[in-house]
Amino acid sequence: MHQIDCPWCGTRDEAEFQYQGDATVQRPKPDADEETFFRYVYARENPKGWHVEWWHHVAGCRQWIKVVRNTLTHEIDSTGGPQSKLTKPDEKGGTKS
Amino acid sequence: MAEFETVHPLGDLDQLLADHAHHGEGAPGVQLSIRTQAACVQLFSRKGRHEDVAKALKLNASPGVASASKSHTALPLSPGQWMVTSNQSADRLAAKLQAKIKDMGYVSQQGDARVCFRIAGPSARDLMARGCRLDLDESRVGTGFCAQTNMAQVGVLLHQISDEPAYDLYVYAGFARSFFHWLSHTAAQFGYRIDKL
Repeated sequence: MHQIDCPWCGTRDEAEFQYQGDATVQRPKPDADEETFFRYVYARENPKGWHVEWWHHVAGCRQWIKVVRNTLTHEIDSTGGPQSKLTKPDEKGGTKS
Repeated sequence: MAEFETVHPLGDLDQLLADHAHHGEGAPGVQLSIRTQAACVQLFSRKGRHEDVAKALKLNASPGVASASKSHTALPLSPGQWMVTSNQSADRLAAKLQAKIKDMGYVSQQGDARVCFRIAGPSARDLMARGCRLDLDESRVGTGFCAQTNMAQVGVLLHQISDEPAYDLYVYAGFARSFFHWLSHTAAQFGYRIDKL
């Protein structure tokens, strides 16, 4: 069971949240080709390690939050609101892997 | 055009109370009440007007703490949203709030969309611990604490109304019967009485 630190509600159980996918995906420009849109809609990485993801606090404040989570250890490094620029620990030059 | 009768999930409340009025011998550990008269109005601020609305109505804008006045109580739901409850008429409450916030936000009556269960008595906190994931120990939270969470798979707006302790639980009306079943089954181990407020 994860405990996720919602920026508004505080630390809550994972059961109150829904996972909503990769938070780093950017919508292509409207004139992008079909293959680019196909990849935007369907293709996702499946990383082993740190991942920036969307979680929806569906049973709490109903807000979408960003979570930096390790898919291997389930450790959560940081959380923030939709505008937060969160960095993975291995990109900060830290010791976590 | 066909006339449709409005059916409330707890429309047969009197029969339900007759069937479940009490459980157990002696003094009950839990006193359950269904607040049938509670007015609920949801208050939304427009984008960027969140602090203006809070100031106009003297509301607490930070999470987890209710703000009470003589006429109503406002429970913060998320940034710029509150559930305002009162024992006065919902129409009057909604009109009063809208008049005060003018064009900074808007209100929506939720009285028919929510059912309020009140939990009191010496075992109230033990009953809450059976279904609520939040730490409600008296060293952590007290009167005025409020939060949205899940209990028994049902979304609940929780408000601690006294240090006794006693709690008001606002549940979506469509889930109220299911929630009532969980509540009465779980309260049975403490012994309970149930009534309408």
